[in-house]
Amino acid sequence: MKSSLIQKAAKSGVVFAVIVIFLALIGFTVTAASLIQKVFGEAVGVSAMPAYPALVVFLGFIGLWNGWRAAKHTGDHPLRAGSAIVAGLVAGFVAGLFVLVYTLIVGTIHSNGVDMRVYLSSLSPESIVYFLFGQSTLTGGLIHLGLSIVSAAAGALLAIFSDRSQHQFALWKQKLSLWVNTSWPAKLRKNVFVGYIAMGVVLFLLVILPRTWGSYWNYIMGTVGIYVLLGIGLNIIVGYSGQLVLGYVAFFAIGAYSFALVTAPDPHHLNWNFWVALLVAIVASAISGVLIGLPILRLRGDYLAIVTLGFGEIIRILIKSDWLKDITLGPRGVRNIAGPTLLGKSFSSDIDFMYLIILAVLLSIFLARRWQESRIGRAWLSISQDETVAQATGVDTYKYKILALAIGAAFAGLGGALFASRNQFTGPEDHVLMVSINVLSLVIVGGMGSIPGVILGAFTLKGLPEILRELESYRLLVFGALLVLMMIIRPEGLWPAKRPKYGEKSPPLDAEKGGPE
Amino acid sequence: MSTLLETRRVTKVFGGLTAVNKVDLVVPKGKIASIIGPNGAGKTTLFNCISGFYKPEEGQVIFDGNVINGKLTDRIAALGISRTYQNIRLFKNMSAVENIMVGFEPRMHQGWLSVMLRTPAKRKEEKHVIAEATKLLKYVGLEGLGDNLATNLPYGAQRRLEIARALGNNPKLLLLDEPTAGMNPQETDIMKTFIRSVRDDLGVTIILIEHDMRVVMDISDQISVLDYGQKIAEGTPKEIQANPRVIEAYLGLGASALSEKYRREKQL
Repeated sequence: MKSSLIQKAAKSGVVFAVIVIFLALIGFTVTAASLIQKVFGEAVGVSAMPAYPALVVFLGFIGLWNGWRAAKHTGDHPLRAGSAIVAGLVAGFVAGLFVLVYTLIVGTIHSNGVDMRVYLSSLSPESIVYFLFGQSTLTGGLIHLGLSIVSAAAGALLAIFSDRSQHQFALWKQKLSLWVNTSWPAKLRKNVFVGYIAMGVVLFLLVILPRTWGSYWNYIMGTVGIYVLLGIGLNIIVGYSGQLVLGYVAFFAIGAYSFALVTAPDPHHLNWNFWVALLVAIVASAISGVLIGLPILRLRGDYLAIVTLGFGEIIRILIKSDWLKDITLGPRGVRNIAGPTLLGKSFSSDIDFMYLIILAVLLSIFLARRWQESRIGRAWLSISQDETVAQATGVDTYKYKILALAIGAAFAGLGGALFASRNQFTGPEDHVLMVSINVLSLVIVGGMGSIPGVILGAFTLKGLPEILRELESYRLLVFGALLVLMMIIRPEGLWPAKRPKYGEKSPPLDAEKGGPE
Repeated sequence: MSTLLETRRVTKVFGGLTAVNKVDLVVPKGKIASIIGPNGAGKTTLFNCISGFYKPEEGQVIFDGNVINGKLTDRIAALGISRTYQNIRLFKNMSAVENIMVGFEPRMHQGWLSVMLRTPAKRKEEKHVIAEATKLLKYVGLEGLGDNLATNLPYGAQRRLEIARALGNNPKLLLLDEPTAGMNPQETDIMKTFIRSVRDDLGVTIILIEHDMRVVMDISDQISVLDYGQKIAEGTPKEIQANPRVIEAYLGLGASALSEKYRREKQL
């Protein structure tokens, strides 16, 4: 019994040692320490190393987590203080021991004058010295061992404390939710005027923000807005009608290219009006949605995913090909795409464009909600939940699947046209598979079938990487970790969809009673 | 008394197995017809042939004067055949009333454009469907539960919701596949009364697959017995109870002699 406890804790320690060593090898420890120092108000100079306390804080945090985890996994309910602390200490000791071995190896290699950067580009001599706290190899390693044990013990103590106060927390939570549901916050939520005021505030922000936050943020938020458009479209196809379409970028590309080709001076000398071209792009995408829909109607699930994946690639390769070079200009892409004009005036400044995107997003939300909250939305949902039964209930599944593809594609076409117009350029490399994957992830992260979820998802997936720019090359690593974490904590999405109420007074079901019989 | 549904020599083969073998069935309008038989006798397969899930290899299904085998299931539903399933198959993540509203689908006419523009006709239709669905909800005894997700409803309520969804289509023929499966005797009694009232109130013809003999014998006007895909007997409940082939199908060879012996002992 006792030995299995120690074994478990040791295993946990090994995992955390691997994490620390991995982060050290890729140089993330230095970046994280710099960030921590920045949070405390002292920016780190270029090519200088951050102060040592920052490293202690960072490693201490990992150690704390290590101890916490080991203590929580002793398997006792409630936690027994003795075994929890033992587990924490063991985990800390094991993790520290491995890190000590690592420092000994790296330190020895370093003191022999070998430049490790030949093998691992981030492992500069400075970063090795920094990781050793500026001490000799052995001392540095021992400091790591000590730090690991102390922080893990602290983590174990923290775990015990949180376990003991869990009951108290639950009480507080109950009180809080009672207060929120009965006192003035509940009244506030039910008040119609509060809703109007909130809507007004949002509109005011949407009007004022593009003017104030500068062109950099206009660019980022414009991209987010275009992804919201794409998300709303794919949400109809995947979230509502349940058709897993992986080649969504094809509709985006068709929208962008049909817009580009009718407005750009080269290659067709068409120079059409912006608004006419926008309509052309939307209609062309919708038609392509219908056309791809016809042959794949009978496919379901995995097969559909693979076929549409291929469709997305075919469109990109066609655009790029020599065969269509006279029409699409091949890999060079189309330049000098027109910006928006109204009554002879140009509106292509970044602020105007931001407004245009906001308008498009608002209009799309409005339309998508109309479709989703009608018989069409119900039919889509029924298809996504059980296609066979939906059809036997009388839902014309073929018609509705094609309709979903057409409408979803139309939104993508709108997004593609705006995208091309804003960049004044579009090429085959704008329409790679990654776009489909990004849009699909934002729909899933946000919560399938939910429009607020799509907006939140677009902000997280397109906005967050920009905010994480501080992390430089580790951006995508941290981003990926955050996504994994998010799906573990909230698998149903950030803002899951709710079904509309039809004004029926329905008492919440009591699971124990099993409802009225 | 006119015929609503007729199957003529319907045959369905899976690989080497003939699941339904030349079955003739005649269901008059306004009656409750039951199909019984041991497990694997082909009852549900016959249902699937009628509702269009399967295309029979041979034979015809004639509904209200039209040959319907080979048609898509949504077309068949639109003609007025609704069904429920042996293992409940609701749209789990939709609310109860929405489930019923999906059932109204064949009778709705507003397209994507009028939905987009929210035309008066569309609003009228939507209002009508909500009202009718709420009425149906009340009819099956789920009043007040309409906004709960179907998956959160208790078992018996899910069974009744499935029937309500089937009724949304305003069907002429309702196929019920083991509606009392998994119910206790009380719930079964309620369901029995309910099925009869559906026929009496709404004038719907019902074909019933059921294992519970008390239900079958109490409410059926006509019983057909399937065994190994073939119809081995047909008649009123009384006739079926006395039929030795039926008893053999259920209890095995020689069982009819055994039951005859017990009956005689009882009489003595």
